[in-house]
Amino acid sequence: MPIKDRNTQHARTAVIVLQLLVASVFVILFGRLIYLQVFQYDIYSPISERNSIRQQTVNPARGLIFDRHGDLIVGNEPSFTITITPLSFDMSTIPLLAELTLTEQENIEALVLQARTYSLHRESRLLRDVDFKVFSNIQENLWRLPGINHQVEGKRSYPSDARLSHALGYLAEVTRNEMNASPHYRLGDLIGRSGLERIYEDDLRGSKGTQFVTVNAFGRSLGPFSGGALDVNPGKGVDIHTTLDIGLQRIAEELLEGKVGGVVALNPKTGGILAIASTPDYDNERLAGQLDRDYWVSVNTDSLTPLFNRAVATTQPPGSTTKPMMGLIGMRLGIIDENTTVHCAGGYQRGRFYRCLRHHGTINIVEAIETSCNTFFYWMMDQIVNRFGLNVWTQMMNDFGMGVRTDIDLSGEVRGVIPDSSYFDRAFGVRQWGLGDMINLGIGQGAMGASPLQMATAVSVIANNGYRVQPSVVERVAYEDGAVEIIRPDPERVDWLQPGDLEAIQRGMRLAVTEGSGRFYANIRDVAVAGKTGTAQNPHGQNHGWFISYAPYDDPEIAIAVLLQNAGYGSTTAAPIAGMMYEYYFHGEILRPHVYQMMLDFEPAPFNPNRN
Amino acid sequence: MKWYTRFDWTLFLSWLLLSLIGLVAIYSATQGPQHQDTFIAGNFFRQVIHLGAGLVVIIVMQFISPRTYVQLTWLLYGLCLFIALLTVFFGIEVGGEKNWLNVFGFRLQISEFMKIATIMALASYLSNQRNLSAQDFKTVAVIGFIIALPVAFITLHGDTGTSLVYIALIPFILFWAGMSYGVSLLMVAPAIFAYLTVVNIYAAAASVVIITFAIFMLEKRPGLTLVGFVVGVVMVIGVNMALTDVLQPHQRARVEAFVNPQVDPQGAGWNVIQAKTAISSGGLYGKGFMQGTQTQLRFLPEQQTDFIYCVISEEFGFVGAGVVLLLFLVMLSRLLFIAATHKHPYARILMIGVASVFLIHVMVNLGMATALLPVIGIPLPLISYGGSSFLSFSIMIGLCLNFYFYERDFSIYAS
Repeated sequence: MPIKDRNTQHARTAVIVLQLLVASVFVILFGRLIYLQVFQYDIYSPISERNSIRQQTVNPARGLIFDRHGDLIVGNEPSFTITITPLSFDMSTIPLLAELTLTEQENIEALVLQARTYSLHRESRLLRDVDFKVFSNIQENLWRLPGINHQVEGKRSYPSDARLSHALGYLAEVTRNEMNASPHYRLGDLIGRSGLERIYEDDLRGSKGTQFVTVNAFGRSLGPFSGGALDVNPGKGVDIHTTLDIGLQRIAEELLEGKVGGVVALNPKTGGILAIASTPDYDNERLAGQLDRDYWVSVNTDSLTPLFNRAVATTQPPGSTTKPMMGLIGMRLGIIDENTTVHCAGGYQRGRFYRCLRHHGTINIVEAIETSCNTFFYWMMDQIVNRFGLNVWTQMMNDFGMGVRTDIDLSGEVRGVIPDSSYFDRAFGVRQWGLGDMINLGIGQGAMGASPLQMATAVSVIANNGYRVQPSVVERVAYEDGAVEIIRPDPERVDWLQPGDLEAIQRGMRLAVTEGSGRFYANIRDVAVAGKTGTAQNPHGQNHGWFISYAPYDDPEIAIAVLLQNAGYGSTTAAPIAGMMYEYYFHGEILRPHVYQMMLDFEPAPFNPNRN
Repeated sequence: MKWYTRFDWTLFLSWLLLSLIGLVAIYSATQGPQHQDTFIAGNFFRQVIHLGAGLVVIIVMQFISPRTYVQLTWLLYGLCLFIALLTVFFGIEVGGEKNWLNVFGFRLQISEFMKIATIMALASYLSNQRNLSAQDFKTVAVIGFIIALPVAFITLHGDTGTSLVYIALIPFILFWAGMSYGVSLLMVAPAIFAYLTVVNIYAAAASVVIITFAIFMLEKRPGLTLVGFVVGVVMVIGVNMALTDVLQPHQRARVEAFVNPQVDPQGAGWNVIQAKTAISSGGLYGKGFMQGTQTQLRFLPEQQTDFIYCVISEEFGFVGAGVVLLLFLVMLSRLLFIAATHKHPYARILMIGVASVFLIHVMVNLGMATALLPVIGIPLPLISYGGSSFLSFSIMIGLCLNFYFYERDFSIYAS
């Protein structure tokens, strides 16, 4: 075969082979196209949609809290938050991020890890409440930081003069358990940890909205997807209207400052709390937004326990402030009537000698309350336990709201202690206790404890002629659609209280303010105050000062219970605070500034932190 | 005969249609609201100019005798090499590649034009041999040398993707020049072995056996068969070892991303996943012009150049992507048909070379876009944005049109 022919033959075959090659390459590519676009369409089409549409959570504004005049107590102010979507985040940008946010690199790493563990796809808060400079830094460099975003949120602001630390409570980030338990929370969300913020959390938090936005490959938002048709608007938190009176609250707080104790002022007819203060307290503002860690630690480790709401949670012997209740119980049980007299020779002898403060002579119940005679009530308690048993007394005391929960809408409330036989059995052992432990109870000493809130509730029962009110801070919850929920149930009549008996006790309490221990400070101009002081001995240092009271005497509008721990006599420590509050409440000003100044300057004995 | 009956309309129209489709795709890839103010926003307008220039060049080229081109071959080859050398020293560096030369404000990528010069040089050399045969060593060596020179320069530019095109050209030319089937198969076998080893080691092992057997059947030479088998085994083991031990982490990541993109979806796997998503989500009819979310929201990397096919697939679906494939098929078939029938050997080799370069580009670019091949950055002929590459491919078509147009006159003066 000639060479030329062979070559031509070869070239011809080569062209055919090339054509075959071209054909097979195109068959493969066609097949691949069909495979991808027809058979895998259902897999990749949703991916491409997810790629370009991002679901964003829109956090609602938390509900506002108002006082009884409609003044804002708790509001919201803008706060700048840096968020992260871990899936799109580029770990190598951590140094840049740390530099821009003026944060430690390790800190950012830890936060990123936390967000990753929570969810790879969801947007989490990385840094909360950053200052505006950091916020604008991030904004400018967003394109260099894939997966990082920013948003403006609300943080709690406290525009009123009063601190109201415990009543309002503080917010903190949700825990893992809370997130798991409720669909409402995402990582970094705030939840009410105490006070109203906690009790009304479900109302205040509102509902989260959802926004669908188109994003580009860098995760940058390009505006709403399909005109926002699929978006769900966030539901604003419900506003809460309280019965608090900020002016009154402010006075209570100022006068309590530097002391340890609690004050509760309420409307004895409705139970609406007008003022509720506890010291030492803390600054809610510093716990809002980006947590001030040093402050948080100092608040938590303070031996005076600022987070502890003494107004509702302390349990202290009420001392002589129990005497009005004792009188009512005695009269109801028929041990005494208004005219029954007891001779006080400076104490009561029964097994041992129970001391009275002085020699009162022959007195009836009204005088016994006016002069705060111990002998009268030692004797009466002796009669009660001998003739009716301790547990009858316990139950009747419970009817005043002592030794039981008031179910106020605040956190941390305690039951207090009004002992019955089983309590003593538990505490001291069966048959290991006796009359000596019980007679003391007649003057509010011994194994007995109450909070200022409970004493305010108890004095309200006397003030409003026998109705047990449910104390509450919130008056109504105003929903967006106009629906209003009234929080408080109607007062309940304590059926065994007789009008005549109540009148006698009320008279005694009025006299205690005009003639007795309250006359120096609690007896104010133009308005008739009725009250009872208490000076409770306690094994942990100086006496606690108590004062329970209400005014006006004939048609009460306000009842106040004051406890100053380790402050000495109730008449000189607790009563002036109530007196000042009454002056403000009824006259709108402080009529005796020297008393006000005296209380500001007053320094109680050092508080013993081992006992709250 | 009227001039228009001698003109190859099939080739010209497929060139024009592909270029126009490219324009539409580039418009979509660069003119969306997301691309405003970016550096690619002006690409569409520039590509319109490229297309206009390409059209003018092709028309002007038709008025020049083919003999002029044949005579200019070596001059062009030398000139291109010289410019390539200049680029090595004065090139503009973009993304680690230094393959642009600034010529009077235009960025010239000589590696693209070099393809034409190389094909012409090969055609010139082979058509001047009295006995075309790749059986003797000298022919093989010269062909290798003609191709190796540009490869060397382009590799110095850092553009490995393009040098790969030149290397892939070698077996095509040698095969056509008369290299035996068995040896030709042996030449392409390593690439097949390497590819299959990355994809599936068992398929690679099977291919070694099959290809070795095929070589034996074609040549009946035990020595060559043994060489084939040894090459196969060495490739499979070597590539496998390279994957695990030799490659740098980022190189390995790229290979792994191709095999299993889900491992690192935000990193090396990103391109593969986004390209696949774009093509797949286009479905049968596509999302519509300017409606492709992958394209418009810039999920696609290099969407106006290397991944332009994804734009077409996403917005025009299987219908649009299929039309593009068909047009390429028509173009290549036509080129090969002329190559088989042309009377002048220079023209034949030139057309084989042009067809080969087109085929390599289409195969690699579409293979990459459809995730059949690892990401290698070479443009899709006539469709990808880029002045040098568009003009270079247009000139190739222009040459082929010219040689076809003057086939009769041309043949008289030559052998």
